[in-house]
Amino acid sequence: MNSANRTRAFIAVGLLPALLLFVTFVILPILWSAYYGFYDWKGIGKATYIGFDNYAEVIQDPVFWKSLQNNMLIVAASVFGQVPIALVLALLLMKGSRLHTFIRSAVFMPMVLSSVVVGIIWGYIYHPEIGVLNFVLDSIGLGSWKQQWLSDPDVSMYSIMVPIIWNYIGPYLIMFIAALNNIGSDMDDAAKIDGAEGSRKLFSVTLPLIWDTIKVAVVLCISGSLKAFDLIYVMTGGGPAHSTELLASYMYNNTFSIYRYGYGSAVSTTIIIVSLLLVAGSQYLMKRGDRL
Amino acid sequence: MMLRRTKSGIVNGLMIIYALITLYPLIWLFISSLKSNEEFYSRPFQLPTKWHWDSFSRAWKISDMGTSMLNSIIVTALSLVLTLAIGALAAYVLSRFQFRFKLLVMGLFLLGMLIPIHSTLVPLFIMMNQTHLLNTYGALILPYVAFELPIAIFIIQAYMNTFPKEIEEAAFIDGIGYWGIFLRMMLPLSTPALSTVAILAVLRFWNDFSFALVFISKPALKTLPLSLSMFATGYMTDYQLTMAALAMAVVPTIIVYLIFQRSIMQGMIAGAVKG
Repeated sequence: MNSANRTRAFIAVGLLPALLLFVTFVILPILWSAYYGFYDWKGIGKATYIGFDNYAEVIQDPVFWKSLQNNMLIVAASVFGQVPIALVLALLLMKGSRLHTFIRSAVFMPMVLSSVVVGIIWGYIYHPEIGVLNFVLDSIGLGSWKQQWLSDPDVSMYSIMVPIIWNYIGPYLIMFIAALNNIGSDMDDAAKIDGAEGSRKLFSVTLPLIWDTIKVAVVLCISGSLKAFDLIYVMTGGGPAHSTELLASYMYNNTFSIYRYGYGSAVSTTIIIVSLLLVAGSQYLMKRGDRL
Repeated sequence: MMLRRTKSGIVNGLMIIYALITLYPLIWLFISSLKSNEEFYSRPFQLPTKWHWDSFSRAWKISDMGTSMLNSIIVTALSLVLTLAIGALAAYVLSRFQFRFKLLVMGLFLLGMLIPIHSTLVPLFIMMNQTHLLNTYGALILPYVAFELPIAIFIIQAYMNTFPKEIEEAAFIDGIGYWGIFLRMMLPLSTPALSTVAILAVLRFWNDFSFALVFISKPALKTLPLSLSMFATGYMTDYQLTMAALAMAVVPTIIVYLIFQRSIMQGMIAGAVKG
């Protein structure tokens, strides 16, 4: 075997395992779900081709739109909750003192916990009879503010947002701290000479300089919002009355609770389309932001 | 000067309160696991009057945590080894060789990072059902590795790209083949990138819930998050036991976090930004 052939063989052998696994378990499922989406299929027995009926049903189902809306609410909670909180904390925690490092670690900690654990803990905090939250409200005389935090459809989605925000502040905090430290002290000195201090310095010097990092954080919020399934599943399962349904839980409930594999596949394909649109949309926003 | 010091004192005070609120759910978890069921809701903020250390051993036994912890360890370890081996090999090829379909292959992996894993649950379930892969370790390990590969390859490849070409030329003259270069030079030199990948992967595998929920129904094969969620549903009203089970499940992760804090933070951010 000559050396060119040997190189070619090595390239093939080196890429084969990765490509094989990746194509089989990531790419192929997407193609399959696009295919099954055109069938009415209960998982056993014969699958009947029904054209675009599943997709038409998805689009006409108010629960689907409710789920999509909830996904967007989570995006909003992340963009307007996590990002500003992380930014404020970063401005206060820039210096690497022992206390600051401790607080950073505390804020980041939920990131490494299983969302099942997080979900169960918060489920207990919100519990209407035995939960800490209602207990606190009672003991500080705000008993009238007590809620059925997770079982009242008007409240539950907002209750869900708190643990989601709590859980994911950490990475944004660390990103912002890194960006702030990158600005360096030169810029600080320059700002001081120009007489910019306090809030003026914040808005005219600091924020514009880390604007790119903020944009990255917003994009991450958008793509991250599709991952909230575990927490929702553990805390509410999408209920009550679909009030906390997300696209992923909508897909799960339609497939594995009532065995509509064809319909579930159509929803899966829709989720991919929605998420690609979101990614494309956020990329577009970033680009447009650059020109301004 | 005085004013500035008071100001930073107030800010620090507020920060400490914020940190405590952030940590409170965890602190509460550990304290509650030592309380009786009655104390759990009648005195949620106080320390237990009687410390129920026995709840841990009871929860361990009743939830059969030994089994699920072992399953989690097996699945995480095997997936990690496969991810590192397969990912590093592919990264080496992509970093060091020019070939016709290189851009296509890289584009394919890039596409993989944009796909939300939940959208593959239904088709994967159907595929695994037909190939009798459901309720095996493989049902978790294979998709874990497949979904972790893109980010692993990109992190390792970016790192390998920084090595100078000369190191391999010297090795070639010594008559070491590609495999020798990969195993004896590229792998050891890439240790920092490999450990970043390993940290990200271990956390993701250890904490995964969705795949386990859909692909595993046999009690003997349940991983920790899955068995915890089942246990919490079944023993919802036995707070002491549930809290003890959660606390035990959380301790290993917290210890790992405390040891590798720095690299975990950096790794997760690198992973998030690239992914």
